Amino acid sequence: MSAEPDPFLAEHIHEALGRDERVNAPELHVTVEHGFVHVDGVVATEDRKRAIADVIAEGWRELMLDDRTTVADFPPDGRMEVV
Amino acid sequence: MLRIAAVGDVHVGADSVGHLRSGFAGLADEADVLLLAGDLTKRGELAEGDVLAGELRGLPVPVVAVLGNHDHESDQQRVLTQRLLDVGVRVLEGSATVLEIGGVRLGIAGGKGFAGGFVGACATAFGEREMKVFANASMLTAAAMESALSSLDTDVRVLLTHYAPIRGTLHGESPELYPLLGSYLFAELADRSGADLVVHGHAHDGTEKGATPRGIPVRNVAQPVLRRPYAVYGVDPDKHPSREARDRRADAPVG
Repeated sequence: MSAEPDPFLAEHIHEALGRDERVNAPELHVTVEHGFVHVDGVVATEDRKRAIADVIAEGWRELMLDDRTTVADFPPDGRMEVV
Repeated sequence: MLRIAAVGDVHVGADSVGHLRSGFAGLADEADVLLLAGDLTKRGELAEGDVLAGELRGLPVPVVAVLGNHDHESDQQRVLTQRLLDVGVRVLEGSATVLEIGGVRLGIAGGKGFAGGFVGACATAFGEREMKVFANASMLTAAAMESALSSLDTDVRVLLTHYAPIRGTLHGESPELYPLLGSYLFAELADRSGADLVVHGHAHDGTEKGATPRGIPVRNVAQPVLRRPYAVYGVDPDKHPSREARDRRADAPVG
């Protein structure tokens, strides 16, 4: 029989991604279901995206990471909005 | 037309040398001024401040910035501010600055701002000391920003904050988080004092465009929202609401 899922786990992981100096991204969204941790949002660099995986692996080895984050490498669009 | 470029939440770190600078390559052709709406660093460390200063040094337009909550994480905000001042960036915290651009006087007031919530769902300075400190922090920063904004007698006036002034630019965020993302006090002071544009960051999952109750455009320029290096807003100094509001006040009978 499997153990009951921890209803607070997503917030523990969210807290870790906010506090860990390799990531420091409390703006990320974290959900946990069926053995997966889904992480979504924008991070500034590839290093920080990679560090998400490290934080999860170090703290929650039993979970599979579904990393949906994107790195902020956005092209200019040349638009101007008159306000 | 005054062209105001703005971006926030760029989260510069030791791992992002050159990223910000490359995104600013078009600034000289596209904008007259650049506003930075806080969360300029990952965790406010001085090494990050050095990288940030390097990214901003010698940009072809004036740069005006406020800090964000990330920039306070290491409790080095004063030194971080000095790093920015050293490379010519004007840093606001309950203060204002004036730029003259092509004969137009642009006044920018601002500060980091703080949390507290919006009408109907606000923190109140009542009860525990911790709750009073929390609620009063927004009131104090709003009072300083209002004083700064009111002091500006310029052709165009902009309020620059990190925390959000309205709910409208938070759409996309969890509503439960709204009280932590901003305060109505900043919209109220803008409506009372008059501004042509309010610019903020902080809400990565929010919406770019909104307005205060009296119709001042509010723009959330958090880079994850913009999904471009910066936004550019054009303001026509000859037809802007803050000038009309000031003219009305000047014409109003006294007493």
